[in-house]
Amino acid sequence: MSSLFSKSSTLRQGVKITDEEFIRLRDFIYGKSGIFVDEKRKYLFESRFSRRLGELGLTNFTDYIKYLKVDRGQELKQLFAMVTTNETSFCRDTKQLDSFRDNLLKEVLDRQRKAGRLELNVWSAGCSSGEEPYTLVFLLLEILKAEITRWRINITAVDLSEDMITRAKAGIYTEYAFKTTPDDIRKRYFKEVEGGWELDPRIRKLVKFMPMNLNDSLAIKRIPRSHIVFCRNVIIYFDDAMKRKVVQAFYDNLLPGGYLLLGHSESLHKISQSFKPVHNAGAIAYKKEE
Amino acid sequence: MSIKPIDELKPGMVLASDLIAKDGRLLFRSGTELADNQLQLLKRVAILEADVEPDLSDLTEADLLAVEDYVREFFLYVNPDHPAVIEMFHIALELTARAVAGGWKLPDLDERRAANVEHLEDVFVAGMGTPETIVEHETELASFPDIFFRIKEVLEDDAASADRIAKVVSTDLSLSAKLLKLVNSPLYGFPQTIDSISRAVALVGGKELSTLALGISAINYFKDIPPELVDMPSFWRHSITCGIFARMLAGTQSGLSAERFFIGGLLHDVGRLILFKKLPYASTEAMLFARENYLPLVEAEMAVMELCHTDISTPLLEAWKFPESLAVMINYHHSPMEYPNPLEPAIVHVADNLTNAVEIAQGGMYVMPGLDEQAWELLGINPEETLNQAVSQYADQIDLVMSAFF
Repeated sequence: MSSLFSKSSTLRQGVKITDEEFIRLRDFIYGKSGIFVDEKRKYLFESRFSRRLGELGLTNFTDYIKYLKVDRGQELKQLFAMVTTNETSFCRDTKQLDSFRDNLLKEVLDRQRKAGRLELNVWSAGCSSGEEPYTLVFLLLEILKAEITRWRINITAVDLSEDMITRAKAGIYTEYAFKTTPDDIRKRYFKEVEGGWELDPRIRKLVKFMPMNLNDSLAIKRIPRSHIVFCRNVIIYFDDAMKRKVVQAFYDNLLPGGYLLLGHSESLHKISQSFKPVHNAGAIAYKKEE
Repeated sequence: MSIKPIDELKPGMVLASDLIAKDGRLLFRSGTELADNQLQLLKRVAILEADVEPDLSDLTEADLLAVEDYVREFFLYVNPDHPAVIEMFHIALELTARAVAGGWKLPDLDERRAANVEHLEDVFVAGMGTPETIVEHETELASFPDIFFRIKEVLEDDAASADRIAKVVSTDLSLSAKLLKLVNSPLYGFPQTIDSISRAVALVGGKELSTLALGISAINYFKDIPPELVDMPSFWRHSITCGIFARMLAGTQSGLSAERFFIGGLLHDVGRLILFKKLPYASTEAMLFARENYLPLVEAEMAVMELCHTDISTPLLEAWKFPESLAVMINYHHSPMEYPNPLEPAIVHVADNLTNAVEIAQGGMYVMPGLDEQAWELLGINPEETLNQAVSQYADQIDLVMSAFF
């Protein structure tokens, strides 16, 4: 094949990572975030980080690892952005959400009403740019309607990436975030602005966002005890040990009778026996028994 | 492919397909470089347009850079210093540049990610299906084509005569038609048309033809998969491409029957079809996860479902009592070195990688699956020479082989 591209145009673009550096960096990331980077992803990892090394003017990974350690956490933000992705949209996994609204959410709200405590705490762990916790607000509005003013609703939404938290607070979304969203939801709660769609500020203020590392046990203890924990498509990034640790933290945080919801394809099978799996119309949730 | 009207044709342009006159006469073969006198002839016989190789000189520096950035993303997962990977990168660059010169627009990020799968429902809830239960659910519902077992019987019978083989295969008309188209395709390049199965048995060999028949009859099983779950034409194009490459790579090794490799390549991803049937939502999530994280599909399947398509093909092919040597190629195509005798699965492994490289220019969505360096070594081939040769032969064969099947 005759070539337009010079044969010398190399595939490699950045600095090479040695096996030893890879292991050190991998362990560092694991220690900080619980995210486990498999050996098979070495080259992917190398190319993602190479660009950052270039920006910092570093010529090898050993220097980068040193930099991470002396930088007191500033560089960690960049690093976390490089090891996570943030695929999400409003009302993602409608079957699970419908089932949640019609079964578990009703049950929890009824229980609270009976006990005379019009209070609901929800924790959205790994909220990305806010689509999930805001979707929960839509569900609550739908189910409680005017009654919502009498309730004390606390939705705490956390994510590893500060960038994501900033975007979540801003509440402006592009078309992509609506690919699984019914049109009436968009019409009711969003208005078109330059660069996308802005969420009604009255809804934005119902969610409390903060950056948080799920590997940070102390930080997790500051989250109010929850009736419901949402953690969808997050534990997929963790190895089994970290999955166990995080799921235990959810268990400890949940109030008796509370529910944990995972992503559609995630399960606690092999991870934890503490919860009772509850099946409702094709969706599965995990209950902390009373 | 780039169709140009007659006024835009210039001397030096190369035909990308045979040029046929209105009366059906072949004017010039694909690959002919058009000269002045030929262009005049075309005008005289009132040819209106011709399919020519895209004019690469139309590409700007910015186009080339965009192509390079685009293709590079598909190689983020693999070793950028490995000679075979580098060669596949160059092949992908070249093909993508040609596609862009031919008018193809590089897909943007949203196009590569968008998918709404909310209507899909999995048969098994997360974590509840094992490869065995998933396959059982499948094999209980639908039985495998009868012709498959009859062919398998003759294939396993060393004493089966050419006549008997031809007779068994000929009982299935649609299968025979496909086989004849296949042996008449450039894959074989026989000088004369082969018009009967018994002639095909004589020329290709009894065992070889039965192996082909076996594999092709297996495809029939999957013909009813709903198109919204998986784009079947592109699935089979991927499979056939892999088959063509596996067959060629097998030819570089001594003593291997090429037909088995064509079938091994053809069926290497069958486990994925079962995943699509049984776990459509989870499979689509795996596809999205792969695209977002620049991971090979097989690794995304593991992350999302804790099992992958070769975990499924293993009990599936066992349930169908597939010939062991074919099953091995399929079940180990992502991990050839885990099989004690790794050469055969290694060939399908390399073929699958090369397939992914050529698919980038056709809108392929997934990064290179990952080349096992030891598996590559086993083949002992020169990357530049062999891979380029394979790709240029493939370009001549793929459309005609595809048309034998669909």
